[in-house]
Amino acid sequence: MAELRLVNVSKSYGKFVGVKAFNLDIKDQEFLVLLGPSGCGKSTTMRMIAGLEDVTCGEIWLGDRMVNNLEPKDRDVSMVFQSYGLYPNLSVYENIRFPLRVRKVPKALQHDMVMRAATMVELTDLLDRRPSALSGGQRQRVALGRAIVRKPTVFLMDEPLSNLDAKLRVSTRAQIKNLQHTLKTTTVYVTHDQIEAMTLADRVVVMNKGEIQQVGTPTDIYDHPANTFVAGFIGSPAMNLIEGTLTNGSFAAEGLHVDGLSKAYSGQVTLGFRAEDASLTTTNSQIAAPVYAIELLGEASMISYRIGGALVSIKAAKDYRANIGDIVKAKVPAAICHLFDTATGKRLGAQ
Amino acid sequence: MSAMKNRAERQPLPAMLLCVGFVSLWLITAAFPFLWTAWGSFKVEADFFSYADWTNALTGVKTIQQTGAPFTGNGYEGAWIEQKFWASVINTTIVAVCVVSISLIIGTLGGYALARSGFRYTFWILIAALIFRAMPHVTLVSGYLLPFFQMNIWGYLPTTIIVLVAINQPFTLWMLHSFFLSIPKDLDESAMVDGCTRFQAFRLAIIPVMWPGVVTTGLFSFLLAYNDFTVTSMLLTQENQTMVPKIASFLGSIQGENKVMYAVAAVVSAMGPLLVLILFFQRQIVSGLTAGAVKG
Repeated sequence: MAELRLVNVSKSYGKFVGVKAFNLDIKDQEFLVLLGPSGCGKSTTMRMIAGLEDVTCGEIWLGDRMVNNLEPKDRDVSMVFQSYGLYPNLSVYENIRFPLRVRKVPKALQHDMVMRAATMVELTDLLDRRPSALSGGQRQRVALGRAIVRKPTVFLMDEPLSNLDAKLRVSTRAQIKNLQHTLKTTTVYVTHDQIEAMTLADRVVVMNKGEIQQVGTPTDIYDHPANTFVAGFIGSPAMNLIEGTLTNGSFAAEGLHVDGLSKAYSGQVTLGFRAEDASLTTTNSQIAAPVYAIELLGEASMISYRIGGALVSIKAAKDYRANIGDIVKAKVPAAICHLFDTATGKRLGAQ
Repeated sequence: MSAMKNRAERQPLPAMLLCVGFVSLWLITAAFPFLWTAWGSFKVEADFFSYADWTNALTGVKTIQQTGAPFTGNGYEGAWIEQKFWASVINTTIVAVCVVSISLIIGTLGGYALARSGFRYTFWILIAALIFRAMPHVTLVSGYLLPFFQMNIWGYLPTTIIVLVAINQPFTLWMLHSFFLSIPKDLDESAMVDGCTRFQAFRLAIIPVMWPGVVTTGLFSFLLAYNDFTVTSMLLTQENQTMVPKIASFLGSIQGENKVMYAVAAVVSAMGPLLVLILFFQRQIVSGLTAGAVKG
């Protein structure tokens, strides 16, 4: 077990840059999630850590070893793949034992280690089955079992849940969280699902187009997005983002007017706020517009407006009802607003 | 399976009869020459090549006259013992086994490398292989003949093996390449993360999944080596001949009574191993031909 350090790691394919100057220290026992849309370089980063992809420049340090030129087998990591990567010709037992066999762990120890791993992932009843006779969730548990059967320095998980159905995803997610807590192994987890990232991570790295957008705890990232990309990516629904002009502390856009904002900035800005921070009102409103859509979520009702070009959502009480086209007023106080520079997308100030 | 059966049962009677009739007709047409030869190989020449009545080949009138019994092993005895057909059997075995092993070793390694390589030139290598595969075998042989004479390696089995491997390799590469493509890359990668070198991943994780492909490709290579006439007849001396050119020489040069039956008996002998082989590897061949069945 050790910490993992990526120093200026880049990956390019010819002219195309997959990952740009990636700098990150991952602490021992940390659960780190790489989050981003597909093609953002998160999988490539993980594959470079595993050694399945060459590093174009930069250094990867595992503890006190520089592992750039080591083969995957010498890096002492274990990995769970999206498509499981199980050996179809071997039974569940043999699949889990495989890493021990090729690493020449003494035979006497192997059985106990396999059984311990199989118990942790609840597979003891299925040890004789072939992978083809298992369900998706069971296959993913075999892959997990194979990863935890020995004690690697780092666990790498490449979208391990994305082939599972929604219900199984929730339970396997909890299982992964619990396993990591028990085993206390540094874990890097790649996903495009922000809920997985929020629920699992100690720290989240949000990536886009090969670059780190923000690194922080899930709360950090949710409450203080560093730029409009993170604001628009995290949360369900994502943060409402409205472009407009800021003059002397008041924000003006078509259909929305907010006073009392920071006077330190002016010009073209993007105003952001979360659906659940705003509320409906009957007086003194910042928004008064026809309802574009109303969605019933069960625990709440989601009202959307069209403001400027953007769709703006506001969460209302679960028994709130309105018809499409009704004029409804909403309160967007300055305290809940985030300001971003429209040109660069960067966050303005600490608010 | 049962759904298919049900549908077949629901077919109207005339259609059923037509199907059954067509299949039986095809079966008879396909199997007849083999059965006829196998049956006739136990008769004398005067019966099998009878001018008087073709049914003699079935009843064996002359066979009874000449040997006193309706069946005779004279053809086999002559071919195997007198004409030393057993030597050809050994030669064929050597050639076929060597061609299959060399082709498969180069083919699996090369096919794997081509399937996993990200470079574009792999496509051109495969196209070049296809072009060589398309050439008539005799082009290779005619080019080789003179150099082989000068280097004094004409007539030996290893020379023939090399030429047959050269003819067979493009096909083996193509076939195995497409099998490897159907195996997900994740399998190699998880093996490598689990502690394998690239070669161990190939040997421990990929090849076990590849068996149907390897067996199918191996069988086709075997058939090429086993059945080849062009190369073996031109590159081997009389003593080193394999079965097929040997049989051809029985048919061509021996004029005496009953000598043609040596050829017939030898042909039947040559059929045996093939039947056994196909029966034995049937399952792998079927799953190999319907590839893609290797996913986990």
